[in-house]
Amino acid sequence: MRAATLPLCIGLLVPVTLAAQDPRLERRLDAGTRAAVVAVIDSARAAGLPIEPLVDRALEGAAKHADSARIVAAVSLLATELATARAALGPSSSPPELDAGASALRAGVRPSDLTQLRQRRPQSLTVALAALTDLVVSGVPADSAAAAVLALASSARDDQIVDFRRAVERDIALGAPPAAAATVRVNAAVRAAGRSGKP
Amino acid sequence: MSDEGIARRVRSGDTAAFAELVARYRDRLGRYALHMLGNREDAEEALQDSFVRAYRSLARWNDTAPFGPWLFAILVNRCRTTGRRTARRDRIFVRDDVTLSTAPAPEAPDHAEWDDTIRRALDRLAPASREAFLLKHVEELEYDDMARLTGVGVSALKMRVKRACDELRSFLTEVEHV
Amino acid sequence: MFEHDNDAVQRMVERLRAPVEMNPALDERVMARIVSAEGSSRWRLGNLWAWLRRPRPVPVSPLGLLVTAAALAGVAVWWHGTSPSGGMSQPEGASGPAPVQFVVVARGASSVALVGDFNDWDTGRTPMRLTSQGGIWSVVIPLTPGRHRYAFLVNGSRWLADPAAPRAPDDFGTPSSVVTVGG
Repeated sequence: MRAATLPLCIGLLVPVTLAAQDPRLERRLDAGTRAAVVAVIDSARAAGLPIEPLVDRALEGAAKHADSARIVAAVSLLATELATARAALGPSSSPPELDAGASALRAGVRPSDLTQLRQRRPQSLTVALAALTDLVVSGVPADSAAAAVLALASSARDDQIVDFRRAVERDIALGAPPAAAATVRVNAAVRAAGRSGKP
Repeated sequence: MSDEGIARRVRSGDTAAFAELVARYRDRLGRYALHMLGNREDAEEALQDSFVRAYRSLARWNDTAPFGPWLFAILVNRCRTTGRRTARRDRIFVRDDVTLSTAPAPEAPDHAEWDDTIRRALDRLAPASREAFLLKHVEELEYDDMARLTGVGVSALKMRVKRACDELRSFLTEVEHV
Repeated sequence: MFEHDNDAVQRMVERLRAPVEMNPALDERVMARIVSAEGSSRWRLGNLWAWLRRPRPVPVSPLGLLVTAAALAGVAVWWHGTSPSGGMSQPEGASGPAPVQFVVVARGASSVALVGDFNDWDTGRTPMRLTSQGGIWSVVIPLTPGRHRYAFLVNGSRWLADPAAPRAPDDFGTPSSVVTVGG
């Protein structure tokens, strides 16, 4: 009887203690910070969110000698962003997509734009979301950046979207107004994507 | 990260990390290979072969021992199998602008001529004597370490070093008086 | 061992002890031989071969060149390995790690480390190598598909973002950058 119940007990125990036993967190965070971070991570896991980005964020804070409150705040914020990204992109989104989606939301992209991107682009959204985020970070207004990437979503390959992003950043570095740079380049990019065929 | 740390990472699957070890040891080991073999082409070939062999036999490295000497032993053995091609007259010291040699003595010959003399002097030594001389006086190893590296006894190594110094002194004196 | 200071053998030894500089291209030849023996189970071989055949010096994006012009102040330059189609480090739809080279100009630095999500923000795990070009540090690491935050740590204490790469949100008061690997 004892032998029959033991595996069940272990099965219940393992998910609850997994984050707490992550040796990276044990090595790098003090006990108090670790407890708070683990609580966030365990909640995220229970909600079906990827936890590696959360661990990474905590480790980044540790490497940069941030105080406990700042580390916990950063991890908590990212967990919230991941949840919002999943609501916008759908429950079957991959961890890299959710991570990129969270970054886009942080940059100021609207959840509805993420949803539209999912509807228009059948393949992985990781690169497109990353390019969208990078455009906004470069100074392109979020709605202009979203409009540009959405225009490319159904026809451009990942590498073409990256080329578009680089071209816009180059124009901005050379003095072009960011919104104008995005508008000018997207028309050319859409034509190029159309010529090269469907991704 | 320490050399040993990187070597352990390579051994656990991080092949790319081996490039860091190559970069760290390339010039240090290259000096020995260059002086032992007498020309850059042979030295580069010996270096490459040694690094590749080290990577492939990393499982045999005792990770409680320093990595550098283990790697150096592989190079020393590899240089023994190459042999010195004295027919090649390549310059050994190519980049004077990066050479950090001590200030020359007032009467020292100009570098090009001196380098040529040095190369000819090393050429004259038997390989075993040249090896012992370079390990002792250029690489500055202790005799015990040299014995472990070469498999030759300390007494024999001391004799080889002395013989090498005597031959070199004789040759250099002769050259300077010409 | 030497009888007096001006002993000819001693002078010879001093000359022989001078550091020599071997061809840095040797590193690539060594890694090429090692990787070709490893097979595709561990590396995206096509991409690494493409990287190895790339002419030197390391090419940078036009934006990177613009930044290089201002590199006198010690600004960072980043180059992202590209496939023939341009832009990404491996073909779309491929999975598994792709080699990515990071390059930074940090004149006068005694050490530079690449630190990021991909190495658990362990400041000692990925030291960069000072190339013969002087002041330019580089390292190649395999990155899995996705978005990775990173920064350079100079002399163990100063965090440096990559001005030629997109910035990451600043959660901790120090700069970070982002690299995206397709897949």
